[in-house]
Amino acid sequence: MKTVEKVVNPVKRAGEQSPGKIFTDRLKVRSRREWRGVKDTFYDYTRWLYLMSVLGRFIIVPRNIKGFFRYRWMMSYLFVPHGMDKFTIGLRDEALRIAHTSFNFVIADVTKAIGNCFRGDRRVGNDKAYSDKCVITDENSMVTFMMGFDTDKVHTILREVPTMFASNIFHQFNVMHYLDVAQLNGIPGDVCPMPEAEAGISIDDDFCVLGSCAVQNNTTCDGSLMGNGIIAKRLEREYGIPTFQLATPLRHKEPDVMDYAAEEIKKAIAFVEEHTGEKWDWDVYFAAAKRVNYATKCRIAQMEINSTPYPQFFGAAFSLYNDTNYMGNSGRMPEFVNVDKKLLELAERGYKAKRMYAKEYRHRAIVWGVQPQYVIDMLYWLVQCWGVVPLTDMLSVINTDMIAEEDTPENREQAYRDMAMLNMEMIMRNHTHGGYKVLLDDLWELCEKMNADMVMMWEHMSCKALTGMHGMFEEQARERGIHIMWVSHDLCDPRVFTRQAIREQVNKYMRTVMREEPLDPSLEDLPDSEAW
Amino acid sequence: MSKIAKIPLILLGIALGFFVVTFTVYIFNLDMKATSLIAPLLEKWYDHLEHKQYL
Repeated sequence: MKTVEKVVNPVKRAGEQSPGKIFTDRLKVRSRREWRGVKDTFYDYTRWLYLMSVLGRFIIVPRNIKGFFRYRWMMSYLFVPHGMDKFTIGLRDEALRIAHTSFNFVIADVTKAIGNCFRGDRRVGNDKAYSDKCVITDENSMVTFMMGFDTDKVHTILREVPTMFASNIFHQFNVMHYLDVAQLNGIPGDVCPMPEAEAGISIDDDFCVLGSCAVQNNTTCDGSLMGNGIIAKRLEREYGIPTFQLATPLRHKEPDVMDYAAEEIKKAIAFVEEHTGEKWDWDVYFAAAKRVNYATKCRIAQMEINSTPYPQFFGAAFSLYNDTNYMGNSGRMPEFVNVDKKLLELAERGYKAKRMYAKEYRHRAIVWGVQPQYVIDMLYWLVQCWGVVPLTDMLSVINTDMIAEEDTPENREQAYRDMAMLNMEMIMRNHTHGGYKVLLDDLWELCEKMNADMVMMWEHMSCKALTGMHGMFEEQARERGIHIMWVSHDLCDPRVFTRQAIREQVNKYMRTVMREEPLDPSLEDLPDSEAW
Repeated sequence: MSKIAKIPLILLGIALGFFVVTFTVYIFNLDMKATSLIAPLLEKWYDHLEHKQYL
């Protein structure tokens, strides 16, 4: 079997050595916050104050209070500080700063998104003039087709992100109600719980209602297509919001799909122009394209650092920041540029100082498959408890090609193809669809490139796109001498696999197959299955 | 001591008081402990809301 050189951290971690001891099953929360030494505890405290100020500034707006008591999913945002604690377990120095810089920004962005939803919502803010300039897009939809609209004139509302995607990260049980609603109304329980929960939110009439139009995407799976149908029906028939179906080719590696894909983007843009009354602006588009390229360069640089013995930016914060930047932003907002820059500076500083997340790195792993929302912080646990470094996750392995960024007549035509390419290479779709090459071959290439000896394979049991390939993964990993560790979960439904049941699969693999003992035994069994 | 000379001391006292209170809340996780007591009440609130539920 392939082996990698063990890397030992010569520096003893400041403060708490066994963070598992602060977990408790009383009141669903930890008994206290982690002591990280004076410097890092003070830094963490100042970030906690910042988060409190973000939440405080949000809730003092009267319409946001009204929205808070109208929508069940809003309760999840009470638990944001607890969520941040999950993402910083055992972290010190640059790693702590990277997690806070990226995730604090994501939280501020989501808070802004909720505020925008409530402003236009017919039940809460009912700002009609604002709502008429809003375009709803679905959670898994790239917003490339909005890159050429001035963000001050047309507002992109990713309605499902704060409602379902982000809220489930902060509160593992938050979607159970909506899953139950969907299933009580006859939706089968064997589809992916993410689109099923979104369908349940629509059935329960718990989405904000706003916008002059909506754009949906044929994203990734049977569950997503089913959910889109249910949501579009209510949007169009009850609320009179016309909905465009952006049909994106799934065989995105085949060049002959490009003309069709570009044509779909043109139609989506024309649809938005028609319903918002605003015109596509090429200056705005090419400025956004430059920012997309900058984000791509930064992501490539981060991945290169992660290919060395001292990876710096990985785990949930890396994945969620990439999700937000690549898919939800798509170069539209200049604020991301400074965050990209700061994150890269922190990672480079950490790399030069040879900073490590744990006292030992024993294995280098690529994390493949779709991660569970309710234990999305598990990759930090993996490195702290077992010394397995998650170099990158599948959802962060996205486009690395540069797009046209100069405004010329040729590039205007190329721009449609670039937007189509970004859309087809969207997070999740780019590996779960597109055939054998993107799901298997890309993984082995990545193992080679990043010097990984292990693959942690998330087996999302409701995801039909991946389960069919189980045997091929096993066979090919064996041929290459790569350890493959299967970890089952059910994405958004903690009733199927609890957090500890998920971790237990790793514990068993590491003890029985790898014959290893944990780096930090206090983390092996955590009483957080009932926590948020 | 003149009133003007006392201002920095008062400001320092306020800053120190703010730090002591907020740091205590932070380190003992009192914010989340309080939230865990409120959450069940909120769940009851959301349960009683009427929604137009249909497929």
